[in-house]
Amino acid sequence: MSDIFGTQKSDGDIPTNNLDDDTAAKTSDSSRSTSNQMMKTTTRTVRDKTQSAHSTGVGDHGRWSTQRIAVYALFSAVAMAASYISISLIPGYTWLTYDPSGIICMIAGFAFGPSAAVIVSVLCWVPHIFTDMSGILGALVAVVVSLAMSVPSAYIYSRDRTRHGALIGIVVSSIIMLAAAIGCNLLITPVYTGWSEAQVLAIIVPALLPFNIVKLIINGVVTFLVYKPISNLLNR
Amino acid sequence: MKWAYKPMNSNINVYAARLQDVRFSYDQGHSWVLDGVDLDIRQGERLCLIGLNGSGKSTLAGLISGLSAPDAGTVELLGTRVFDNNGAHADNYRTAREGIGALFQNPADQIITTKVGEDVAFGPENLAFDADDIDRHVYSALDAVEMLEQIDQNPTYMSGGQQQRVTIAGTIAMSTRMIVLDEPTAMLDHQAQRDVLAVLDHLQSQGVTIVQVTHKPKELRNADRILRLKSGQLQSVDLAKAVQDLSSTSDTSDAKVADSSKIPVLGIRPLEVDPFCHIDKTKKPEEAKEPADMPRATPVHKASGQPIISLKHVSFRYPSADFDTLHDCSMSVLPGESVAIMGRNGTGKSTLTKLIAGLVKPTDGEIEVAGLDLRDLSRRDKIMLRTRVGLVMQQPEHQLFEQTVRQDVSYGPLNQGFTASEADKRASNAMKLLGITDLADRSPFSLSGGQQRLAAIAGVIACNPRILILDEPTAGLDATANECIFNLIRSLQAQGVTIIMVTHSMNQAHHIADRIISLDTEQTATEDNGQETVQANGDMDANGSNHLHIFKTSELKRTGIMTRLDPRVKLVVFLMLTLMMFLVNQPAELLLAAVGTFLITAFSGLKAVELFRSLRGFLILFFVIGIFNMFFVNTGPTLLTLWGLKVTRDGLGLAALYTSRFSLAVLLGIVLLKTTTPTALTDAFASLASPLRRFGLHTQEMALVMSLALRFLPTLANETRSITQAQAARGGSIETGSPMRRLKALAATLIPVFAAALRHSDNLSLALDARCYEEGIHRTHWHAMHVTGKDLIAVALSAAYLTLLLTLKIGLIPMPSL
Repeated sequence: MSDIFGTQKSDGDIPTNNLDDDTAAKTSDSSRSTSNQMMKTTTRTVRDKTQSAHSTGVGDHGRWSTQRIAVYALFSAVAMAASYISISLIPGYTWLTYDPSGIICMIAGFAFGPSAAVIVSVLCWVPHIFTDMSGILGALVAVVVSLAMSVPSAYIYSRDRTRHGALIGIVVSSIIMLAAAIGCNLLITPVYTGWSEAQVLAIIVPALLPFNIVKLIINGVVTFLVYKPISNLLNR
Repeated sequence: MKWAYKPMNSNINVYAARLQDVRFSYDQGHSWVLDGVDLDIRQGERLCLIGLNGSGKSTLAGLISGLSAPDAGTVELLGTRVFDNNGAHADNYRTAREGIGALFQNPADQIITTKVGEDVAFGPENLAFDADDIDRHVYSALDAVEMLEQIDQNPTYMSGGQQQRVTIAGTIAMSTRMIVLDEPTAMLDHQAQRDVLAVLDHLQSQGVTIVQVTHKPKELRNADRILRLKSGQLQSVDLAKAVQDLSSTSDTSDAKVADSSKIPVLGIRPLEVDPFCHIDKTKKPEEAKEPADMPRATPVHKASGQPIISLKHVSFRYPSADFDTLHDCSMSVLPGESVAIMGRNGTGKSTLTKLIAGLVKPTDGEIEVAGLDLRDLSRRDKIMLRTRVGLVMQQPEHQLFEQTVRQDVSYGPLNQGFTASEADKRASNAMKLLGITDLADRSPFSLSGGQQRLAAIAGVIACNPRILILDEPTAGLDATANECIFNLIRSLQAQGVTIIMVTHSMNQAHHIADRIISLDTEQTATEDNGQETVQANGDMDANGSNHLHIFKTSELKRTGIMTRLDPRVKLVVFLMLTLMMFLVNQPAELLLAAVGTFLITAFSGLKAVELFRSLRGFLILFFVIGIFNMFFVNTGPTLLTLWGLKVTRDGLGLAALYTSRFSLAVLLGIVLLKTTTPTALTDAFASLASPLRRFGLHTQEMALVMSLALRFLPTLANETRSITQAQAARGGSIETGSPMRRLKALAATLIPVFAAALRHSDNLSLALDARCYEEGIHRTHWHAMHVTGKDLIAVALSAAYLTLLLTLKIGLIPMPSL
């Protein structure tokens, strides 16, 4: 079977397990850039059996294969399940709850590229429009925060598929996520509570900052721990 | 049903499938799973394929169903040459697939939507049948599998047998001429197996070609031909030989008492079935442990002393359920004793194992295990319990997560605080006991299903438990793997380990246990056979989160007008109404919004009790936030001071306003979800978003992804809970330990969850292929969406409401301010 990036078997010079290949990082710059280029062109095809030796040719190249539909659906379902876990981190601030869905969005981005991160981040919060007290605005904020965490990391990692690249991606996206989360909270908190601007600004240091820092540490560390084993699963 | 099985109109097609010299390799030709297979399947023939685990039966089934292509050879399906020396012919494959149905082991992975009728209609829609045809096909197909009554129910919450019948209906609704089934009854209990076989017999009588992969002797009964796959080649075998092949002393599921006469059983005395879980409260559990003191066939360890496990009148009920999963169960087990737990699906066997392992707390009654009272465990006691009790859950291979088998097996000992070298020693011992030492350095995910099972069991054994609980450890395994597990149990018995094993097989129970505890009582049996459909491995009702239950509505109330509105109109109107709630901030506006919302609720046809139950969780949350708000806003005159905190009029007013606003918005959301199926909602989204197609967005596919995600949400939530419990039983709990250890525990949970997601997605993509879904195909809809007069009225009413609200806001009607 081909690997998740749809690298065809004929591309024998690319190791099957090309996700996070440290040895590739140590090779000369020129060979690395060609390798990255090839990665880039092949990122779009997800776990695509349509290009394997045993393909029936029915789901041809360029369209969404049933594999891609199925794997996006299941990743979205995991993210949804995770998004309904809510753990209150800061006493009193009941609406600032942690859920692990961000990790799943980041993994989706690492495995299948930024577009998968977008799809999983968006679909995961759609049901919340109707089931959460915060409604559509709350879901929108959650999507923005989730995108801020998963898309930059996916993009950076797609450019540099090494442990180093993963780390940089996670750190950069954490900073972007922190800014996005605090920004969104400043905008949205008054709508829900009727507080004045000064009152909202006053909770940044005691609540918003610590909450989001804890959140990004959990997401970042766990993503870093699991992305490699999961990529091995995908490459089987 | 005649329409479904019309004979082929051309005379060339006496064969449903012809394979010539077919070769198939998974490793580019290093080894051949199929090595020169020749096979002719006649129209209307019923063929059974047997063979050991990993012999290539599923591969062959995939080729016959047209879902994959071989490496070499010629394949003709339904008279169409799909593969030859020139490779695969995509168009021919497409044509052939339309007449071939493929069904796999796990029925749940093949169900696409959350309503039986819509699921059955999925295939016909992909084949672009017109609406009337779809209607006819859906009804006759459901009639054929006797599931017509359940047409509006949600298959997610059905038993495995019912689910498999729904998937069969989904296949025959496509006018399938050949059905290929890969162990369709592997996950089912006896009754469900019989039901599915009855459906197959019916199809056989209708002239449908049936190819069935099986491990079960009784499924061979009506076969026209039995073929055995061995070393990549097919051999014809007769019934007697095949039955002998498939039966063994440790046979998993077919060894019922009635069959055991055929199977050579060596001098096992009959055991008394011990109906422990009865309603008789006068009988003390101690009186009933007598059989334990009877001599065993091979007394390796004499059970004696105080009970190591003792349950007194234990009941368990999932938070959202309205019946006890386990009711008034009393039992006791002596140290060193071996007990088999039997009972039909849904009688609470798995729940009982989790109760004993301390993973769930009883709703009622007392449990004592290894001297610890499980009702109230301190953190230290919990760790102590984990070291004493080992739990092998159903399909334990699903909890594997490490890079190598050795690392995975060492996970438990490391969590118990052993040094790396000691943990490694224990892991080595455990692997030796299970005979998998040679697999130690391989990735657990590269192993066969049977090997994975053994590796997972080794991971529990490595914790050196004094009590070992196994929940159907041999389900789905072949005779060889079974033998490994039985050898293990025997050697643990010799070491004096207490064994509790859940099994469906009386024969296994006889082999292993000193006595049998049956959970089949009148009380549980009634819940088992009716409409109460409980999943085989637990209870879908217990999704942990109280938000998820909102998606569970499968049967919509047909009385209210709300259900009959076009979902697109409804979606837009409700989104607008919910958004407008944020504009509400004066008492008069709040009153208007409340009146509007209550009118909508009244027309929804939903019961007030039901709505309140859905809203209850939110109300508590709003109340808490309201209180918080009250103390936070300090402007306006002070009304009272509590513990030094001021409550002002503004604070109180804001709290009241925002709480009401939230409640109304959530109420609207609940009404929308209770009156619309997830499929209708996603269809509405897709339809509304369809103009975006022009910008290259895959809207139809996104909608399918969304509805599949909603379909699999409860399944994955359930599995996530099982995995969390399994890792907790090995000492890896997210709730205890240092922050880094908790994060590691989270990782140890997430990896198996992803493995599960990928496993489902592999099956699901095959199921989508088998139902002829492709991107960009012309699909028809069973129930097309139409905007009617009712919808226009709804739009007009909400426009009127919006106008009124805005009028109030601009201040045309003067109102006293807050």
